[in-house]
Amino acid sequence: MIADSPISKTTAPLIELADLHKVYRVGTELVHALRGVSLLIGENEYVAIMGPSGSGKSTMMNIIGCLDVPTEGRYLLRGQDVSRMSQSRLARVRGRQIGFVFQSFELLPRTSALKNVELPLTYSGVRHRRKRAIEALRRVSLLDRAHHHPNQLSGGQKQRVAIARALAQEPDIILADEPTGNLDSTTGNEIMAIFDSLHAEGQTIIVVTHEDHVARRCRRTIKLMDGQIVLDQMNEERERAKGISTAEGAAAAATGGSEGTAATGGSRPHGTEGVRPDGKRGAATGTVIEEGGPS
Amino acid sequence: MAAVRVIFGVLLFVPHQIGALATNVVTALVQIWTNKIRAFLTVLGIIIAVTSIITVVSFVQGFGDYFTNFLRGLGTNLMVVYPEAVRGPRGEFLRPAEMTVDDIFAVDAKSDAIRRTSPVIFARCTVEYGRQQITGLNMRCASELFQPIRNFYVEEGQGRFFGAIDVENAAQVCVLGRDVLRQLECDESIVGDYIMVDSQRFKVLGLLETQGSFMGDNNDAIIVIPWTTGLKMYPNNRNYMAFYSEAMSEEQVDEAEAQIARTLRRRHGIRPGERNDFGVFKQDQILQQFNQVKMIATSVLGGIVGISLLVGGIGIMNVMLVSVTERTREIGLRKSVGARRRDILLQFLTEAVVLSTVGGLIGIGLGYAICGVASLHPKMVEVNVPIWSVALALGFSAGTGIFFGIVPAFKAAILHPIDALRHE
Repeated sequence: MIADSPISKTTAPLIELADLHKVYRVGTELVHALRGVSLLIGENEYVAIMGPSGSGKSTMMNIIGCLDVPTEGRYLLRGQDVSRMSQSRLARVRGRQIGFVFQSFELLPRTSALKNVELPLTYSGVRHRRKRAIEALRRVSLLDRAHHHPNQLSGGQKQRVAIARALAQEPDIILADEPTGNLDSTTGNEIMAIFDSLHAEGQTIIVVTHEDHVARRCRRTIKLMDGQIVLDQMNEERERAKGISTAEGAAAAATGGSEGTAATGGSRPHGTEGVRPDGKRGAATGTVIEEGGPS
Repeated sequence: MAAVRVIFGVLLFVPHQIGALATNVVTALVQIWTNKIRAFLTVLGIIIAVTSIITVVSFVQGFGDYFTNFLRGLGTNLMVVYPEAVRGPRGEFLRPAEMTVDDIFAVDAKSDAIRRTSPVIFARCTVEYGRQQITGLNMRCASELFQPIRNFYVEEGQGRFFGAIDVENAAQVCVLGRDVLRQLECDESIVGDYIMVDSQRFKVLGLLETQGSFMGDNNDAIIVIPWTTGLKMYPNNRNYMAFYSEAMSEEQVDEAEAQIARTLRRRHGIRPGERNDFGVFKQDQILQQFNQVKMIATSVLGGIVGISLLVGGIGIMNVMLVSVTERTREIGLRKSVGARRRDILLQFLTEAVVLSTVGGLIGIGLGYAICGVASLHPKMVEVNVPIWSVALALGFSAGTGIFFGIVPAFKAAILHPIDALRHE
């Protein structure tokens, strides 16, 4: 797998997964969530992880995010082996190197946006927390809402606060778990646009999603099935799709429910259908994977 | 060089810790404010405990100060010796109470630890003056040494105390306490005038200075007459005399008591091993009695405080467990952004301690209020809240928070971040 990983030659490996296994015990049954996953992700990559329910993508995300450790195999994050770290050191790695963005935002209630963004900084004990939090809010264009509480913010604004919180620490990776899952498609696209621009600024981003139009905005798509990687490809078409109004395409896809019906059933204008080179998608592995629900 | 580095490290580290703690405290206060009623009900036990500590400690302290001051005014060398019948184990009389004037003089003559001795008869009498009458007035029949022994003098310019000659002659003279004047509704002009004491005519020689009341006993409602006169009025007392003795010094009180016992036992023919047929009342006995009261009050306090703290602590534990469950996702989030177990532990422990301390502060406020209101009562002794009781109360409430907060905090700390984030 590592051999044909389409990793760019100019980027150093930031994440190196080598033959990861994860076994859970559910009651008396053993569940193999990951069955030998190997993967390289370099600096400034923009990766979508896809897969149906139970495919192991959540487990993989948890391991990449240092929320969990693999049963077997090795995970090197920037060269350090995090697969055998203590809870306390894992927390430190999470705090300093990984920025999480969750589907349901997970902002602290009754706490201003600014304080929410400062939260990771208080745990790592860095100085100039206020300054760095303000800078992070500025990067998601939400400085004017700095003193608002989450209940005074819209869904999109909340997710922007969450992104700012992930950014505040200047992490190696931003790990977004269904970041648009709780948002309408327009807002979802605004959020993805922020990820796009962060990526353009050099940020490494991993998005876990089951939505095709979200995955399509990333540079690379990894699909999981039954705990194994079944597809790992670069999204070449993204370059060509850039000029097109992606927001409208996404809206169409969302309202249409699926790619196939979007062209005919969509009530809104749509423009991306023709640009999508479907033929290329399965090329890497030759496997076609049906869409699954959020896992 | 290394030392500089260490110091620098500590200097950088400490503000961060303080900052984190301050953040935790603020978070805790926000939590409390959001759940005001719940928090109040939770800390009710703590409030009661702390209020009891403050109030009882202050009252005991107030009475203690009052007591000590009073005893000091009474003269700490004072002893009262009184006859006492000896009873056997089944309550049968073994020996009647007996004390004669000769006994008293013998004690006075043979004890070098005793400075002064005066016979005394405690009685109650009826006093009439003009159209006023007082019944059941406290009467002391003593010698002219009553003044220095009791440290209770005739007021300057208000006549004189009776002298040795008055005692010798069993003269019908008396001195009055200030409160007697008030009850007789007359003024200082009574000095030199005559009053009727148990239907006998007595000349008022002087007025005693004001001494105040003690445990509901008014020391100023008193009449003092020579003991010889007293014996004439109450001849039955001849064989049941009591006497005041003043030791040379506070240190010699015990020695004086021993000398009294030796003399009296010999004179009464009490064999070794037999019990005394008299009692000695010393100041430190009053103190001992008071200390007993104090101890009872303290144990009652201990019980109330213990139960209230237990109830309050369980309340805190319960509410913290609820809080941990309610905020499982928050815990997951905090862990995912870098909080270690000890950060979470500290956060929830801080919350429990802040909760209990807020209860403690309310209790201290209530305690102060109760003491303040109690002090308004005219017959109440002065009650001051000692600062150490405040510290004690705060310490107890914070300790309860730590003790009962540790389990919920630990429960929060060991939550797995993934499970916590998935919690619905």
